[in-house]
Amino acid sequence: MSRGHVGSSPPRNEDHRLLTGNALFVDDVHLEGMLHVAFVRSDYAHAQLLSVDTSAALARPGVVAVITADMLGDYWQPGPLLVPPPPIDGLVFNQASQVPLAKDRLRHVGEAIAMVIAESRYIAEDAAADVIVDAEPLDPVVDLEAALLPDAPVLHPQLGTNLAAHVVQKHGDYEDAVLGADLVINRRFHYDRGAAAAMENRAVVARWDTRAEELTVWDTTQAPIPIRNGLARMLGLLESQVRVVAPYVGGGFGPKIMMFYPEEVLVPWAAMRLGRPVKWAEDRQENFFATTQERSQIHDAEMALSRDGKILGIRDFFWHDTGAYDPYGLTVPINSQCTLLGPYDVPAYHSEFRAVFTNRTTVTPVRGAGRQHGVFVMERLLDIAARELGLAPDEIRRRNYLRSDVFPHTFQILFQDFAPLYYDSGNYAPALEAALDIVGRETFPALQEQMRAEGRYFGMGIVSYVEGTGIGPYEGARVTIEPSGRVRVATGLGTQGQGHYTAFAQIVAEVLDVNVGDVNVVTGDTREFGWGTGTFASRGAVVAGSACHEAATIVRRKVMEHGARILGATPDEVELHHGTVRVAADPSRAIGFGQLAGHANPLRGAVIPGTEPGLEATAYFGPDHGSTASGVHAMVVEVDPETAMVRIDRYIVVHDCGKLINPVIVAGQVQGGVAHGIGNAFYEQLVYDEGGQLQNASFADYLLPTALDVPRVEMAHRETAAPLNPLGLKGVGEAGCIPTGAVFAQAVENALPHLALEIQEIPLSPSRLFELLRDAGPASARPADPALAAD
Amino acid sequence: MIVDGEHTFPGPRPALWTLLQDPEVLAKAMPGARRLALTGDGVYTGVIRIGVGPVTAAEWSLTVRLADLVEPASYTMHVDSKGALGFTRGTATVNLDEVDEGTRMRYHADLSVGGKVAGVGQRLLDQVAKMLTKQGLDALNKEVEARLAADAAGGAE
Repeated sequence: MSRGHVGSSPPRNEDHRLLTGNALFVDDVHLEGMLHVAFVRSDYAHAQLLSVDTSAALARPGVVAVITADMLGDYWQPGPLLVPPPPIDGLVFNQASQVPLAKDRLRHVGEAIAMVIAESRYIAEDAAADVIVDAEPLDPVVDLEAALLPDAPVLHPQLGTNLAAHVVQKHGDYEDAVLGADLVINRRFHYDRGAAAAMENRAVVARWDTRAEELTVWDTTQAPIPIRNGLARMLGLLESQVRVVAPYVGGGFGPKIMMFYPEEVLVPWAAMRLGRPVKWAEDRQENFFATTQERSQIHDAEMALSRDGKILGIRDFFWHDTGAYDPYGLTVPINSQCTLLGPYDVPAYHSEFRAVFTNRTTVTPVRGAGRQHGVFVMERLLDIAARELGLAPDEIRRRNYLRSDVFPHTFQILFQDFAPLYYDSGNYAPALEAALDIVGRETFPALQEQMRAEGRYFGMGIVSYVEGTGIGPYEGARVTIEPSGRVRVATGLGTQGQGHYTAFAQIVAEVLDVNVGDVNVVTGDTREFGWGTGTFASRGAVVAGSACHEAATIVRRKVMEHGARILGATPDEVELHHGTVRVAADPSRAIGFGQLAGHANPLRGAVIPGTEPGLEATAYFGPDHGSTASGVHAMVVEVDPETAMVRIDRYIVVHDCGKLINPVIVAGQVQGGVAHGIGNAFYEQLVYDEGGQLQNASFADYLLPTALDVPRVEMAHRETAAPLNPLGLKGVGEAGCIPTGAVFAQAVENALPHLALEIQEIPLSPSRLFELLRDAGPASARPADPALAAD
Repeated sequence: MIVDGEHTFPGPRPALWTLLQDPEVLAKAMPGARRLALTGDGVYTGVIRIGVGPVTAAEWSLTVRLADLVEPASYTMHVDSKGALGFTRGTATVNLDEVDEGTRMRYHADLSVGGKVAGVGQRLLDQVAKMLTKQGLDALNKEVEARLAADAAGGAE
């Protein structure tokens, strides 16, 4: 029986605390005797570190310690490999994870060299400026292709190469596909770096309680449990001696995953050594240099098609920039490789990539996590093919969608969860039609024509994507009915604004028939729940949400059994009703959950053998496969061909994330994702010079889209239930930003049909688009495709 | 970052050459110079204080090593400057030619700028470099004129 909690949008449980300023963020943690940290960081992209002179810094009043690599002893260890590479035949992976403080070699600007600990942050910053770093610059490695040439300088001498990985995955026979093709197109695509730009930077506070022998760490991490486990191991403590709290966090977007950043491992170490609490909060400058980024890739991609626009095969060679270190393994390029296939039937696929070390900040997943690269390549190839074949963009997509009766569908290539790429469910064509209806398939061309008569250039783009979400290994939850009658839910995830306090409460409220506001959710505190992985890969709602459902279901059974016993009935004679259990045939015989919880935890008498006290249960959920979300994005733009400014007039998302727990939260995720995607398409780019120096490390020069640049997304939801979890859930955290670059490129081209404009790179900017428009000849001069012409 | 250009000084080439090797003159001409001394054969070290746009003024240690000296026609400067906000390093070539108006200096510097100053000062870096170069050349020009006037006065004694 549906109680209507799942699928509705009640006021969020967390909003009161957030809106009244009472939510705890890490920087709100103030402890008696707390010391403050500033880091001395590399100015060089690549250099030999000769010496670090800390004497002047130590002489400054208020400085407690200045730590360099040599002082760390055995604690100086490269960070853990967070995600090992999947078991792909012939795979090459060269591991080089980040170090807590640079010892001999500086590998990117902003790499930590020394940690200054002082009575205040002001003193620490001044003392950091006193530290003299002597380094001999080395030639930097910046260009992805040049990095692999024999004479290139090498970042990690022990590896003897800048190759971080080489991976080939394929299914079908691409060579055969080409032989049978009427049209073969190939292009080179560039996708450059951006920052996650979370509103809250990273922060860590650590306190060692000598008497309790307990370390408490407040950390802006997305994955508190892996951080606890790792810190315990590194510091020689029991896991139970370490408590990691990820309180409210102002945006994660990937870089706050269990990175074991230098600051994250050094602050707890210093707190234990010094016997005083220690705090470090990243400033925005540091964030630009020291927090991980995404996403430079270069793709040489080729698509073979039949005359009627059917994809016969795709071959893609690409270079992936992993930055100075590769602690996160191959998640990002594997996502690119797998997500390229999208919702399409691709009979033959050959994908080969090389991950490359460069003297830039380390690359780990940022919202989208490489998926947008694959989508960009696929959708651009389809657009170019459609033009060559005289098909409309929507028609070539329609012709290539996987049919709704092929699911579950498995591709013979491995996904980031190490299992063959598996689409659990999907239904793509209706989403395309729905998006076209919202844009106005009849009215838009008329509008476009009318505007053009006024000298205004409107264009529309429409693209598709899939997103593998909700992967394992597992998450857990504990549900407890307290004697107050209120329900407590604990899970191990970290939360960074996804509405977990409400969405999980809705799931539990639905099972137990209580008010959503009476369900108190706690996340991100390892003392509350100690098993789990973390918030990433659009998996929180699917995996932890399913665990909440399972735990609540067990509690529900306990309530029925215990209630029936007290009410003198059998479990199948009772029902739940608004926080009570009652006899269905005689609702006057009822007992409230609170009273029942008291009975279940008696002070006298005996608990019935074979049962547990209390109304509590812990459950875990680990899906065999993720669940495949999908969608169609459409965009209407107006382009000023003289200034190359683009105004995004409308943005339409038809999205399928399975069963919606909370439509308003889903809408918020999509809207935020689109904002991220628009930034990535037209505003945000981390610009490095040939020396590996970041040129725009401030929000004065790194442009985030503002509220004026991001239209309110027109949204429609489709609910193709996921078959592999009890509620039919799919993830939605990244959906908004994945296809945005692709739809932007198509829309801009569509606005200027008189030009032979072909966009092969993202991010664009007004100035870069200006150059492309200047260089684009008239459309009439576009060369005919030789493959078709010869036919 | 490339900084290049030319400037014509009023005096004869040998006089200008001598002035350009004099740490006292250079200290006066160099914008923000706090100290500058000849500390070795053709090596000058010192401290300058400069800010770039949003980067507040800070002290930078400076080492300039002169090389490839072809008196009085040309030399190369190897510049290495470091501070809490980053670094500047690179090479500048200076050519002196005799012209009707006096001595023409042609300079071409290829400098790499790194660290905080590169990250946040970028949009102002070129302008600041041009401004500092102009300030330096103007100061040097004034010094040349003063020396010439002094020499002329001395010669009249």
